[in-house]
Amino acid sequence: MDWEIVGDILRITVLAGLGVAGVLAILIWKKNLATRITYMRLVIQAVAFTSLFYFFTFTVPLLYVLIAIFAVTLVIGRLYCGWLCPLGFVMDLTILVRKALKIRYRILPDRLNKILHKSRYAILLFFLFVPIALWLTQPPPSMPVAVMETKLLAGPFRPYSILIDPLIPFVVPWTNAAVAVFQINLTYPYVQEVLTYLGQNIGQVVAIAFVGLTLAGSFFVRRFWCRFCPTGASLAVVNRFKGFKWAPLLHIEKDEEKCTKCGVCKRVCQSQVTDVYEQKGGKINTSMCMLCLRCTEMCPYEDTLKVKFGNKTLFKSRNWLEPSTSE
Amino acid sequence: MDLGTQKVQAVILKDDAVVSRGQAFSGFDPTKAAEQAVGEALKKANLKISDVAYFVATGSAMEMAPYASSTVSMMGADAKAGVYLFPKARTIIDVGAEEARAVKCDEKGLMVDFIVNERCAAGAGAFIEAMARALEVKLEEMGPLSLKAERASPINASCVIFGESDVVSLIHRQESKPEIARAVFDAMADRISSMVHRLGVNPDVVLVGGVAKDVGFVASLNRKLGVNVLIPEFPDFAGALGAALAAASRAKEGQK
Amino acid sequence: MKSEKVEKKYMPEVPRKEIDELRNTIKTASEKIIADNIERMKKADPNRPQAMKYFDEMANLFGQRQKEIAAEKEKGKKVIGFMCLFAPAELILAADAIPVRVNSGWYDTSKLGDRVVPVEVCPVIRSTIGAKMIELSPFLELSDALISVLTCDGMTKLSEILSDYKTIWGMNIPRVKDSAQSLRFWNDEIKHMKSQIEEFTGNKITRKSLKEAIEQTQRATKAFRRLQDLRKGPPVIMGRDAMLVNQTYLWDDKKRWTEKTEALCDELEKRVQRKEWVCSPDTPRVLVTGTPMFWPDNWKLPTLVEEANPKGIIVADELCSGERILNDPVGVDEWTMDDMLSAIGERYLMASTCPCFTSSDGNEDRINWLINKVKEWNVQGVIYYVVRGCMLYGMEYTRIKKALDKINIPVYYLDTDYTREDVGQMKTRVEAFLEMLTARVDF
Repeated sequence: MDWEIVGDILRITVLAGLGVAGVLAILIWKKNLATRITYMRLVIQAVAFTSLFYFFTFTVPLLYVLIAIFAVTLVIGRLYCGWLCPLGFVMDLTILVRKALKIRYRILPDRLNKILHKSRYAILLFFLFVPIALWLTQPPPSMPVAVMETKLLAGPFRPYSILIDPLIPFVVPWTNAAVAVFQINLTYPYVQEVLTYLGQNIGQVVAIAFVGLTLAGSFFVRRFWCRFCPTGASLAVVNRFKGFKWAPLLHIEKDEEKCTKCGVCKRVCQSQVTDVYEQKGGKINTSMCMLCLRCTEMCPYEDTLKVKFGNKTLFKSRNWLEPSTSE
Repeated sequence: MDLGTQKVQAVILKDDAVVSRGQAFSGFDPTKAAEQAVGEALKKANLKISDVAYFVATGSAMEMAPYASSTVSMMGADAKAGVYLFPKARTIIDVGAEEARAVKCDEKGLMVDFIVNERCAAGAGAFIEAMARALEVKLEEMGPLSLKAERASPINASCVIFGESDVVSLIHRQESKPEIARAVFDAMADRISSMVHRLGVNPDVVLVGGVAKDVGFVASLNRKLGVNVLIPEFPDFAGALGAALAAASRAKEGQK
Repeated sequence: MKSEKVEKKYMPEVPRKEIDELRNTIKTASEKIIADNIERMKKADPNRPQAMKYFDEMANLFGQRQKEIAAEKEKGKKVIGFMCLFAPAELILAADAIPVRVNSGWYDTSKLGDRVVPVEVCPVIRSTIGAKMIELSPFLELSDALISVLTCDGMTKLSEILSDYKTIWGMNIPRVKDSAQSLRFWNDEIKHMKSQIEEFTGNKITRKSLKEAIEQTQRATKAFRRLQDLRKGPPVIMGRDAMLVNQTYLWDDKKRWTEKTEALCDELEKRVQRKEWVCSPDTPRVLVTGTPMFWPDNWKLPTLVEEANPKGIIVADELCSGERILNDPVGVDEWTMDDMLSAIGERYLMASTCPCFTSSDGNEDRINWLINKVKEWNVQGVIYYVVRGCMLYGMEYTRIKKALDKINIPVYYLDTDYTREDVGQMKTRVEAFLEMLTARVDF
């Protein structure tokens, strides 16, 4: 028992240490300020990715995870999407592959982009209602079964687990994973859902198609899945209510007078958000932004875009001019 | 001192009140004319040159002024003089022989904005002179003559040169001299009032400069501006007065 | 090659003798004016930075730089001139050609231009026409081709007039700046220009060469911004000196210019530390905005402001011959050819504050730019300078005045022409304005 705790502490320390070391390395060695935040983000995403694999050896009630996600959203908004999401990490890795191959990314037409972003809510609503429908048609035998464990992902509340699907690492400890290669259990976000609801045969076909589409899609359109992701929608939905306008505490703020409308922020945004460009100053209110901070990093006018936590400025656009030294 | 293109004016101030005035024609030597004007003012006040603590010059030839320790712009001088003469003055219009300008100021007599006419003599005293010549009327008679008219003749007011030849054809068409005179003043007032409107008409409005003595022009300007302009007793000395006021405040500050 | 016997569309036939005579007279007069301007700038600041010597030499349009370009031409490089800042200089640099701006700043040639176009036409256009007529401008003569961006009426017709002498590529600029169609259209024009430049110079613009060209201009922007930032505090460099440095970029070798400007900034930073101001920190700080002011003759207004009594100092400007040249860098996301081209297109179209545009959201970026400059550079008054005949700048005046009135900054509308005759009148106005600013400072 004691050794387990020591082992846990060691693992956590190593992971944290790697994370800190990676961030420091970037801060010291990466001279090109225009991509520093991006690389820092990749490091933190990698650490989060590995730590989640470790996290899934514990059993934590699903309900707690969901509550935690919502509470955290109020404070840091969709920072999870940009910096911690493992599926996001995979998509960012495909971006690196594409850049190495010097292939151009595609941009979705603006209206289509906005409609797809709205479809997130539809998918979210669908999965929120499925358990209610199931409960009404097949009520569970007892209460404890109703509260499911993340490790097992079964029962009438199973559909809610779609909200934490992006959290699931690709190598999982449970044996009913989608694929087992040399006794390593592999799965992919949402594939479990597909297999459950569509059955093994059709399910497998659709699952493979889904994997292909999301990977291929994010190869050409940056962060393609984020336009459909119900987890992202749930994180953004809080901000839409009147009493929560102050949320999230972590936000991007724009100084209208310094903005020259050069359009760089609009062009580099991975979610194709136009609000940073169009809004006349103040707090940027959009649910499509995942705080990847590419706009703030690339804005070439000092103090125009600021990343603020409440009233404290954490990071702001600079008189950016260092030419690229990489690639 | 106010060294204008036609005349030089001098004003002596003592304890914030005007003591005396002097004037001379500029001719080809504004410096000498200034010395004359100052000499005249000194004589009237029974003072010597050494009694004067500070000299300030203004006007288009201000660089050539004798005795002056510093200069002030014509607009600045107008603003100071306007507020001194009429404490509620906020817009001062100065129509001289060759240029017209308007100055907006605050209650302290400091300039807030100014505008100068666009390099065209048809908005200045030279226009009246030319038209008086064309009508074969004495310059001083133009004003009273125009007041007799009920309406203004249609004249081409775009250029002084054309205006003169215009007059001849108007006489042939049996237009009366009073009506032509009034048209001259209306045209000038029109030009000047549109200039002042670009600045913004802020009451009270004061009119200074040699042309302010002409009743005909004043009547036309009042009509076009829609306000009655205030005119000081010696409107052509306003510039010199403003310069003297500047001299007084600079002397107080011990400025060199 | 167009032979001189072929009839020109616009230009009259001028006998060779007259051309040579006029050119020699005006050239000598111009060299004198250049020397005179520099003398006055030297006098204004007895402790002028050493680094300015280089720029003084470059300021001589008939001197070293002209010879350098001619030598490069001998080696086979092409010279591509342009008349407006929208021309993408990065593409020209990437094709290993020499970009040079050919707008004319000579007063005397504008009278010659009157022979061809009416007097009411913009004097910059008339002056360029006159300069071509007598073959005065070294850069215009050395250009193998010209890029003309059809921003205003004058520019549009000027490109027709000059097409008799040189290959001219007109770039269509959309008038609505921020619509999606405009950007698509402009990006198409940029792509088209790229292939035209490649064909003309015989050099392909590769990803590598374009990346280097963009990085070169980014480095130049950095040096440039450093210089402008140094003007934020108490005056450490005369406005005329800084404006000259800005303007020499238009014809100088970009790499060398960057180095020399960095050296100048190093020197100025030392002065800031030693608190060596070039004039009293109380001097009224002026910002000049409006139509471009080209060296050498059209240095009238800056000279008047800085030699007036009371003296003023120009701390910033919003001129396309001044701070608009290099203020905005090209923001490249992923250094692929497509991304670089669309970054270039956006930088030239969307960051511009030229009044030739209007935009669907109210065209406020020029106002925001001015307000930001006023606040950060501590500007006390703005001179809105317009040459007679410029409809676009003239019309925007009312709007700018209203916006600046709200933040309590006086604006003075000063219109003039390419002539020396109104210096006296301008002096009165400028001095009254500076007097007004001094009085406001005192209170």
